[in-house]
Amino acid sequence: MSHLSGKYAIVGVGETDYSRGSGRSTRALGVQALRKAMLDAGLDRHGIDGMLSYHGGDSTDSTAIASDLGIRLNFYMDCSGGGSSTEALIGIAIGVIEAGMCRTVAIFRAMNGFTGVRIGGTGVRAAASVGGGALFTRLYGQSSAAQTFAPSFMRHMYEYGTTSEQVAHVKVAHSKHAAANPKALMKTPVTIDDVLNSRWITKPLHLLDCCLETDNATAIIVTSMERARDLRHTPARILGVAGRVSKPRVDYHWVHGPITRVAGYYAKDIVFGMAGIGPEEVDITGSYDAFTFTTMLQLEEYGFCPKGEGGAYVSSGIIELGGKRPNNTSGGHLCEGYTHGMSMVIENVRQLRGQADDYCPGWAEGRHSYDYRPGGCRQVRNPTITMNLGWANPATGSALILTNT
Amino acid sequence: MTTQTEPARPAPVPDEVSAPYFEGARDGKLMLMRCLACGAWRFPARDRCDRCWSTETEWAQASGEGTLFSFVLMHQVYHPAFAREVPYNVAVVELAEGIRLTTNIVDCPNEAIHIGMPVQAVFEPVSDTVALPKFRPARG
Repeated sequence: MSHLSGKYAIVGVGETDYSRGSGRSTRALGVQALRKAMLDAGLDRHGIDGMLSYHGGDSTDSTAIASDLGIRLNFYMDCSGGGSSTEALIGIAIGVIEAGMCRTVAIFRAMNGFTGVRIGGTGVRAAASVGGGALFTRLYGQSSAAQTFAPSFMRHMYEYGTTSEQVAHVKVAHSKHAAANPKALMKTPVTIDDVLNSRWITKPLHLLDCCLETDNATAIIVTSMERARDLRHTPARILGVAGRVSKPRVDYHWVHGPITRVAGYYAKDIVFGMAGIGPEEVDITGSYDAFTFTTMLQLEEYGFCPKGEGGAYVSSGIIELGGKRPNNTSGGHLCEGYTHGMSMVIENVRQLRGQADDYCPGWAEGRHSYDYRPGGCRQVRNPTITMNLGWANPATGSALILTNT
Repeated sequence: MTTQTEPARPAPVPDEVSAPYFEGARDGKLMLMRCLACGAWRFPARDRCDRCWSTETEWAQASGEGTLFSFVLMHQVYHPAFAREVPYNVAVVELAEGIRLTTNIVDCPNEAIHIGMPVQAVFEPVSDTVALPKFRPARG
């Protein structure tokens, strides 16, 4: 176990509404999310002196967000990045605090993912000229994440007999979870048939195999356990972290090695090694569900089931609330809203605090009744260890293990 | 010409490391970059070998024979020029030389496309100077 395991914690989380029409700038969204995270932690503008963000040319920089909240920074960095960034930036926050560059780091992601820049690659992005690396992809009509990721799923079906029906269970489970989440964009539970009968986007992916493009901002605050003890909530201690661990070739992941292998294969030894635990000790997982099958591939690669048995694992009931190890209890990117990875970490922090009961009476006043019956709240009974599995693409992934003990 | 009713398909603008690939296709040959120092095939084309770091290269004609490694069928329209072609396939072909490339399978209905099928390169002109390597089911 690393000497930094358990030395740092997530102490504040916050987010805007998840919508498909924010009507506001990413700057306004980012400021709101960060302010909520600071209030959640019990920190004023003097309490934050480091800031990190990631973007795809679609956001506002730390300098603007910090200035708008009257925060003076000792460190900031805005990097380009996708869905493996949340956990990676949490690791960077630990590093810069450990280096003495600052004391408390806020991480945010702000995006109008539906009304602004759409990651799917429509509109202006699709019409961009074709040179460089795109010469070998876009000319053949390949441009979206669905197209570049799905060959891994197709190959998994070929090699291991995995089916569309099996991975549809991921959407069904997450939709049940979202039904107990007042923040979720899509609160109506769906069935296996709903998924399989929805129209094709990129075969083998149906519409309901794909996540929900969303307008939102999200924020997470990291500091030392020393400082965390003075703040409002039970700290979510960081036991292990792995950031942007990659396969040998990232730019065209399908040209190298077995493509049913994803980055988690390499990340798991780092994150479990630092934490000093194994998959069996994890109570809740938060996987990057850009698509149903990405959850399946990650869970099997991190060792929650043997390689090739991900389809059986996700269709067994294990990943549902009430199951042995629920996944994405908020509904995740498939049902709560797409936040580029942030919201699954936020949800696990709330689970460890016992705050994922926001459908129960008295919740807003801090009274927790915890309705654990089916159809009740989505709080898991006394979880102690959660894990997040971040995914930028099949060849790059990040991971995070948290505890409340 | 691009018009509002008939958007042009994206036209390749080959650069110094990829031009022989597209020019080769125009001449009916699948041309691939190969490292002169260690012999490794290099795709996509780039100026340095990721195995031995040599920049000494040659362009060599590949067999054009391969196997379908994976594929997807595109139903959603992202680029307007592909609107009339959906559903179309995007395929990953593993060449006999051991490397994989993104391409389209032609002369084969989408329903008949399957992983493991033997395929053979064909060349589709897109302008006077450039053609695209694509693949059809291997005959016989």
